[in-house]
Amino acid sequence: MNSILVRHKWEPYVWLLPSILLMTIFVVFPIGIVFKLAFSEISKAGIVGGFVGLQNFKAAVSAPVFGTVMINTLVWVVSVVGLSTLIGFVIAMVLNQEFFGRKLARSIVVFPWATSLVIQASIWNYIIKFEYGNLNNVLLNMGIIKQAINWRATYQIEFMWECGVGIFVTIPFVTFCVLSGLQSIDAAYYEAATVDGATFWQKLFHVTIPLVRPSLTVSTVLNVIYVFNSFPIIYTITKGAPANKTDTLITYLYMLAFYDQQKGPATALSVIGFIILCIVAGAYMMISMRKEDEA
Amino acid sequence: MSAKSSAGRKNRAALLICAAAALAIAVLMCLPLVRFTTSVYTKRSANTFVGDEKYEAALAEAQAAKAEFEADGSEVTIEESVTERVNSKGETTSMVAFEVRQTVKRSGWDFLAAGFAPATVMRVLVLAVALSLVLALLGLRGTMDTLHRDLSGAAVNLRAAACVCGAAAILMAPVFSMVSTYTFSRQVGLIIGGNAVSGADALLERMDAFLYGGTAGERITDLLGGLSEQVTPVLLLMLLALCVLLGGLIVIWRGGLAKTLSRAGLYLFVIVVSVLILYPFYVMLITAFRSNAETTDMYFLHMLPTRWIWSNLKDIVDRGVLRFLLNSIMLSTGATVIAMLCGIPAAYAMARMNFKGKKIFLGFVIMSQMFSPVVLLVGISQLMNTLHLNDTIIGLMLINAAFNQAFAIWLLRGTFVSISPEMEQAACIDGCSTVGALVNILLPMAAPGIVTTLIFVFINSWNEYTISTVLISTPTNKPITVGITQFSSFNMIEWQYLFAAALLATIPVVILFMCIEKHLAAGLTSGGVKG
Repeated sequence: MNSILVRHKWEPYVWLLPSILLMTIFVVFPIGIVFKLAFSEISKAGIVGGFVGLQNFKAAVSAPVFGTVMINTLVWVVSVVGLSTLIGFVIAMVLNQEFFGRKLARSIVVFPWATSLVIQASIWNYIIKFEYGNLNNVLLNMGIIKQAINWRATYQIEFMWECGVGIFVTIPFVTFCVLSGLQSIDAAYYEAATVDGATFWQKLFHVTIPLVRPSLTVSTVLNVIYVFNSFPIIYTITKGAPANKTDTLITYLYMLAFYDQQKGPATALSVIGFIILCIVAGAYMMISMRKEDEA
Repeated sequence: MSAKSSAGRKNRAALLICAAAALAIAVLMCLPLVRFTTSVYTKRSANTFVGDEKYEAALAEAQAAKAEFEADGSEVTIEESVTERVNSKGETTSMVAFEVRQTVKRSGWDFLAAGFAPATVMRVLVLAVALSLVLALLGLRGTMDTLHRDLSGAAVNLRAAACVCGAAAILMAPVFSMVSTYTFSRQVGLIIGGNAVSGADALLERMDAFLYGGTAGERITDLLGGLSEQVTPVLLLMLLALCVLLGGLIVIWRGGLAKTLSRAGLYLFVIVVSVLILYPFYVMLITAFRSNAETTDMYFLHMLPTRWIWSNLKDIVDRGVLRFLLNSIMLSTGATVIAMLCGIPAAYAMARMNFKGKKIFLGFVIMSQMFSPVVLLVGISQLMNTLHLNDTIIGLMLINAAFNQAFAIWLLRGTFVSISPEMEQAACIDGCSTVGALVNILLPMAAPGIVTTLIFVFINSWNEYTISTVLISTPTNKPITVGITQFSSFNMIEWQYLFAAALLATIPVVILFMCIEKHLAAGLTSGGVKG
């Protein structure tokens, strides 16, 4: 019995009311507006006209860069989430060992999570500048290279850098989640495995990974959503240039809506993005709810 | 008995490795550690083709110079370069240049005797190696076959001290490389550039003695002007030998090679990861205090600013950064307060009450967490227009509060669930209202969790960028994340100001984050992951 006495049936709803109001106005309404706009005619000046069916969607999908943008989005999400999860997991495994200075190392690895993405992206934008960037500076200083290297020679390489920065800024969160999962594992499991003569890999695949899977699932799904929605990195480093070739769905729709004043196709893209997120979110919710039932 | 002899075997092997490493270091000290190349003589000859008369004459001149400099036994080379060009009349012209270079190599032992900064570093290195060996021997004396756990405190301390000396010696190798570069490129450069440097004459005299055997005399500034120095790979080998030495010393200290190696690997990994993670922040820190010229200098080859420009901070304050910071503080505080005022009751109801639709609400909360405001940008800006909240900080507050509701409720509910409801139940039976039970009993007990949530929402709102760029156009309403972008326009980015402002924006959140890091882990696992 962990609930307290409720005098009236309607009382819990009163408690929930402020929260529901806040979220309805500022989360649900915008969703409604986006859907309405996506099916309406919008002039360049932003004046909303009548219902036009799927016209905005047709315009958005038939734009020549749409394919590139979707592929970029896929590459961006898969590479950033995949690699940061892998690297973050390894780092968390190491930081879970007992060693001198472990607390300090943990803080160092995790704290970038709290810093702003636009700031981190600006720093990396400076680091990889060809003419005076700090990376060339450091490598020249150490004598590793003899001549400054152009780190952003083509837009493909620039996009790779953007993915790299994305991975870099995502690792702290993964490490943090996995580490908190690892620390809740009872040491008795490992002792038992050791007594049974299990090797390092056997322990990893049969003890560690199954036990941290909840943390790993949470961090992966949240990351898919954060990374999909991530805007500052690409906007700061390339602004999608040249000709939207380094844009993802989010930066592209921002450019469409607020630079090119094409609100119609932009909202259509929002709806597409929203549906993609809904699918991911739905999958996540099913996992969470199932766990709720188990608990 | 066998355990004892195995301890002895390990110790002997480690000692042998240490001795071999020390010997290797001594041998490496005899090899050239730094190569100094002086351009002593240059002969240029225009309108000259390879093999013609003027070429022969110039070559002869260069060779004479070479012979002159070879007289004192140093290594001299002639470098020939031919530049061919086709002029406007279509004729080919050619210029030949001969550069006579004198190369002097200096070994570690040479440095020991010299009297300037790199020499001091070298002396410390040799001393540290010697001391570490002596300490290791003292630590092993009479306890060669003793198991590690049976050692006396004194012996362990001696062995540990040997390791400290070995580690210090390792540090000296990169320091030597840096200091020797510093001495020659910067200190000597200043003297040659005509700057008044105290002790300049003494330094020049020592350089003369060290590099040219005291023969340069008056010519020394000219010679040093054409000097370049290069640390040879021998130093890298020395570093390797020093690492082996330290490894051996650690084996003696802790016992067991596999353990030592895996420890060393662990520390190496942690150090590399930490350095990589801290790297962008290092860049931000040093760039924030460089001059504008230095931030965009292609040839700026220093790890730190040559002069720390603290006035950058004053400049950005003059350009309105305090206003941005104030806006950010207002925005984040407001968003946090709203999020908590709405979130605490909701979390309380979720944790303590049973009602219809609880699951639906939970689903709603989880779903809303999925939508970053970015994908809804157009809708949000439209809504804000309708509500006349466009371009206001209040509008930003509400948006941030709304999009942080999910996490706030999630974290708070976890905290509330982890606290036993008995006290509240008792209070309710005694006639206390539910509000009273929440405010007087639960909230004080849940304080750590509440503070964690509070700070978490604060940090999220502080770092928000995208919505603010879209909604805010009045400069005096911009929060700091948007404000810093005013230092970067398409044609010019004032990096030093950008990063100085970024630094000011980063410090508060990092401090706050450090405060909640420990609690957040517990909150996420108890409140979030396990539901």
